[in-house]
Amino acid sequence: MTDYLLSMMLFAPLVGAVIALFMTGDKLKYARWVALVFSAIPLGISLLLLATFNSDGPFSSSFAWIETASLKIQYLLYIDGLSMVMVLLTTLLVFLVVLFSWEEKERPNFFFALILGMQTGLLGVFMAADYFLFFIFWEVALIPMYFLINLWGGPRRHYAAIKFFIYTHVSSLVMLIGIFALAFQAANIEGWTQLSFAFADISNVMFASGFQVLVFGLLFFGFAVKMPVVPFHTWLPDAHVEAPTAGSVLLAGVMLKMGSYGIIRICLDVLPDGAVAWQIPMIVIALVAIVYGALACIAQRDLKKMVAFSSISHMGMVLLGIATLSDIGIAAGAFQMFAHGLITAVLFMVCGIVGHNVGTRQIPLLGGLAEKMPNYAAFMMFGFMASLGLPGLVGFVAEFNILAAFYNWGNAEGMAWVIIIGLASLLLTAGYYLWAMQRSIFGPVTDKVDVSKVHDVSVYEGVSLAVLCGLIALFGIWPAFAWDLIFPVAEGLAAVWGVI
Amino acid sequence: MYFVEFAWLIPLIPLAAFLFIGFFGDRTPEGGGYVAVGAAALAFIMSALVGYEILSGTHGAYYENSIPWLTISNGVVLNFGLYLDNLAVLMMIFASFISMLIFVYSIGYMHDQGERKKRYYTKVSLFLTAMLGLVMASNFLQMFIFWEIVGLCSYLLIGFWGFKHPKGDKASVAAASAAKKAFLVTRMGDVALLAGLFVLLNAFSSLDYVTLFDPANIALVDQSTLALGSLLIFGGVIGKSAQFPLHDWLPDAMEGPTTVSALIHAATMVKAGVYLTARSFPIFVQSTDVMLFIAIIGGVTAFYAATMALNNMNIKRVLAYSTLSQLGFMILALGAGGYLIAMGVADGTPITGSKAFGYTAGVFHMMNHAFFKALLFLGAGAVIHAVGTEDMRKMGGLRKRMGITSITMLIGTLSIAGIPIFAGFWSKDFVLEAVMVVAEGSGAAAMIFMLLYILAMATAFMTAFYMFRLWYMTFGGEEGEASKHCHGEAEKVMAYPLIVLSAFAALSGFLILFGFNQALTFNWDGPGTDFVIGGGGYAMLDVLEKIFTSPFAYLAIVVAAAGFYAAYRMYNVKDVDPGRFNKDGESALYKLLQRRYYFPQFYDAIALKLTYPVALAVEEVDRKAVDGTVDGIANSLTGGSQMLRRIQTGYVQTYAAYVLGGLILMFVAIYLVGYLGGL
Repeated sequence: MTDYLLSMMLFAPLVGAVIALFMTGDKLKYARWVALVFSAIPLGISLLLLATFNSDGPFSSSFAWIETASLKIQYLLYIDGLSMVMVLLTTLLVFLVVLFSWEEKERPNFFFALILGMQTGLLGVFMAADYFLFFIFWEVALIPMYFLINLWGGPRRHYAAIKFFIYTHVSSLVMLIGIFALAFQAANIEGWTQLSFAFADISNVMFASGFQVLVFGLLFFGFAVKMPVVPFHTWLPDAHVEAPTAGSVLLAGVMLKMGSYGIIRICLDVLPDGAVAWQIPMIVIALVAIVYGALACIAQRDLKKMVAFSSISHMGMVLLGIATLSDIGIAAGAFQMFAHGLITAVLFMVCGIVGHNVGTRQIPLLGGLAEKMPNYAAFMMFGFMASLGLPGLVGFVAEFNILAAFYNWGNAEGMAWVIIIGLASLLLTAGYYLWAMQRSIFGPVTDKVDVSKVHDVSVYEGVSLAVLCGLIALFGIWPAFAWDLIFPVAEGLAAVWGVI
Repeated sequence: MYFVEFAWLIPLIPLAAFLFIGFFGDRTPEGGGYVAVGAAALAFIMSALVGYEILSGTHGAYYENSIPWLTISNGVVLNFGLYLDNLAVLMMIFASFISMLIFVYSIGYMHDQGERKKRYYTKVSLFLTAMLGLVMASNFLQMFIFWEIVGLCSYLLIGFWGFKHPKGDKASVAAASAAKKAFLVTRMGDVALLAGLFVLLNAFSSLDYVTLFDPANIALVDQSTLALGSLLIFGGVIGKSAQFPLHDWLPDAMEGPTTVSALIHAATMVKAGVYLTARSFPIFVQSTDVMLFIAIIGGVTAFYAATMALNNMNIKRVLAYSTLSQLGFMILALGAGGYLIAMGVADGTPITGSKAFGYTAGVFHMMNHAFFKALLFLGAGAVIHAVGTEDMRKMGGLRKRMGITSITMLIGTLSIAGIPIFAGFWSKDFVLEAVMVVAEGSGAAAMIFMLLYILAMATAFMTAFYMFRLWYMTFGGEEGEASKHCHGEAEKVMAYPLIVLSAFAALSGFLILFGFNQALTFNWDGPGTDFVIGGGGYAMLDVLEKIFTSPFAYLAIVVAAAGFYAAYRMYNVKDVDPGRFNKDGESALYKLLQRRYYFPQFYDAIALKLTYPVALAVEEVDRKAVDGTVDGIANSLTGGSQMLRRIQTGYVQTYAAYVLGGLILMFVAIYLVGYLGGL
């Protein structure tokens, strides 16, 4: 039964995408209903899976696909706790994004088709248990995003879209080399006659240390560009500034997590010695990303660009947690992926609304919006507070555990003081968010742009935002709902390195 | 059945009010004001019932009940629950009681604020929820969660007039800026506190009070780790309780409504820091150095803050500085008492009860201060409400027009100044006594405590001076220009809370004569024998004898009287011109005090002259160097921008073809490789 459920969840959006494309002419207005239904199906299935996870999970599904004398590529799907959380995040955000974009006027059929098509790619990445499948979905997710930016984006959309595409594509190719290296080396070592791409086969192979270090580097580069970490991040602010809100939400909310998911799922699992060798570089990169991203935020004038840079800082937190190579750190890193997905969705929706309703996102041009758009101001404040790690909301749980794991690591290494760098970022983060709020929603109503006729959050926007805010509070108050799914996976991974 | 079994409901009551008012406040009378009052009253009644049980020792030293919240690793469980002991219930009782009175008063004070009232009552209800959650928490993490929510609430309330200020745009800007400052400055302390939690979590694999306070567990952790953890936790206190050098947010916080100031200064926010210091005693007393540090910070803050109140003309600011100064007293007392206990812990001979009563003094003063400071702020609010200005130079002579307010404020003033029989007298005497006990010892530390004692005495003098100055400038003498517009006494709903609070501000000190010190103790099984932190049970006569046979008590009374007398001559009789001492406001010291020792500029410089330029530089590097390299590589690889431009103008089909082509190539490659490799 779950065999079919998994595939149904995976391909329902793709079917929906095709149907949506046919909604032309008079039927154009039904495109959004198609999108709603076909994004509700995966959401429903993922909730069903969640409900039965403790009794029936983890879920898997397998079919032989391409099988020759020398090659075995399987259609393998697998949902463990980590995948479950990411799948849930994906189905939820896609559904809410459809709702949020309900009043999209420009070619809605194509718009919703792209979103649905992307969902299949995203879900596939989080569910694939075969490297070949993983890579295909990885690429599938990329393409709709390119079009979303290129066709629905802002003034510099062509530049941003092509930059996004080429940059992430190059990194994918490097990653592909790494994947091939793994598969061939595994076959060599084990003397398989059939080349296998299955996660399960390859993760049992003991690779030589030198090989691990090399391949870890290749895969890590591929994933790091996607996350992205400094210095491979510059495609992200451009892509976000130009992307439509729906694109930004899915890009930051889900797509970035493909990178960190890959690091956990592949790098750590298959290449434990490589991880140890790369530990210090990863920590350094993570700390740089955290602080650099936060500092860059302070300097931004465009609200959306600021939020884009905050993603770099917060994804740095994810990497920091992972790089501690401890169960708490990895679990907290994964939890941060989930938390950041929810929070950043709110943030980009908030940026989108102000850009759409007021006509500008330039912070210095805004001011006093709390008076004109009180509900909007409340959502913005909630999102900003969640993002700066206010306890009681989901982001705090992630940051607390990441930094606790990082402190444990530093303490064990005899340099507990490194925690200061992580903590400094908390101050910077609070600084840029509060400053942005002070200038945009507080103070006198701006006279630099005409806000006399500006309207508050619409119903569709409000519902999407309210659901997200509710979940941010729910998982902040009771994080065990997600943590207990993730932790066993992290624990299993960290067992290799022993108790740190 | 015990009341404590229902204690978990207490913070949920104002939380329910928060949600209810948030959704339906605009449909209820006074924007939900009555709901807020009712919730606070119910929380108070339940706190009192639970408090009775705890204080009467029904559940032993403490009542603890937790459920697992998050299992973060094997064997490391973060819990969520209740830890109710004397300290916790005392805080619960006075926080909910004073909040209730402030909410009642708010119904009058905020009456004209229209649709803002709903926002106001949601926020203050959340504020009370967070404060109750903070003091009832069973572990440091849960405490920290509510600690931060308390901070959020103060941010929201200080910035309450951050837009659409009744006095116009300039005031909105100031309010928004003050709110940001409060959040950021206290967050500096919070970050230290967070680091302290990491240290303790790493050392104890738990953050539960019961685990951390267990001497057997403490013995397993090395001294330097405990001291580090203690200092970092105290960093949080420095931020929250506005101790030097993170104090400067509090004067700016006066931008909020006056009722909010009363709430922050008396019942919530700043009291959280003192609470945390008292709460963490079992950890803090593991090091004499930590306790010495705490005492020094407290003593310096007490003195330093009082100086700034001497020449300020704004009625609310004077009260703000006095809060800083009084908080310094509390911290000083805790540090002094803790220092003695720490000495006992260090050499294994516990200092028993009566000597180390600094703890009792600190907590007692915190409670008394809650009463008289709430009273003073609400009284000041009534004055501001009536005359429409905060500038005391424009007031004066209001005792005729505002009888109740002037009398109740006078009681508050007598109390805070430490005039005998009023509440402040008793606890301030205890504070001074607790410092003197340590100063009477020998060694360098005793010398330091002697200095702190002298600072505290000087502070007592200044306190009496500036408080009577405030009272005379506001209520005494001739009518000022604003006083003439005064439309009479505050309405009843505002006056009654003043009367109730003034009764407490006058009388709560007497509690100590009736064995109340038992409620001000911290039951903790320290090393060696069991002992109780705080005063061992002394009877009424003991206390009276102790105080009134000590020459230092008389010294304190004389000092307070001298402060009163100086203010009387300068601001009531006016035969001594204050201008004589400050060259009519031209002296360097006068200006230094007016400018708050240049601390605001110092904070601003950190933000605007250090952080912001660095941020701009990072942005510049990012755009030119990092992104420039990327574009450079792309251009050189694709033969310049020509190629890019051609791709950019491409059609959907072209891309699809590229991708499809790529996939096909991949398949072919895999098959080929597969055949070759499989040979």
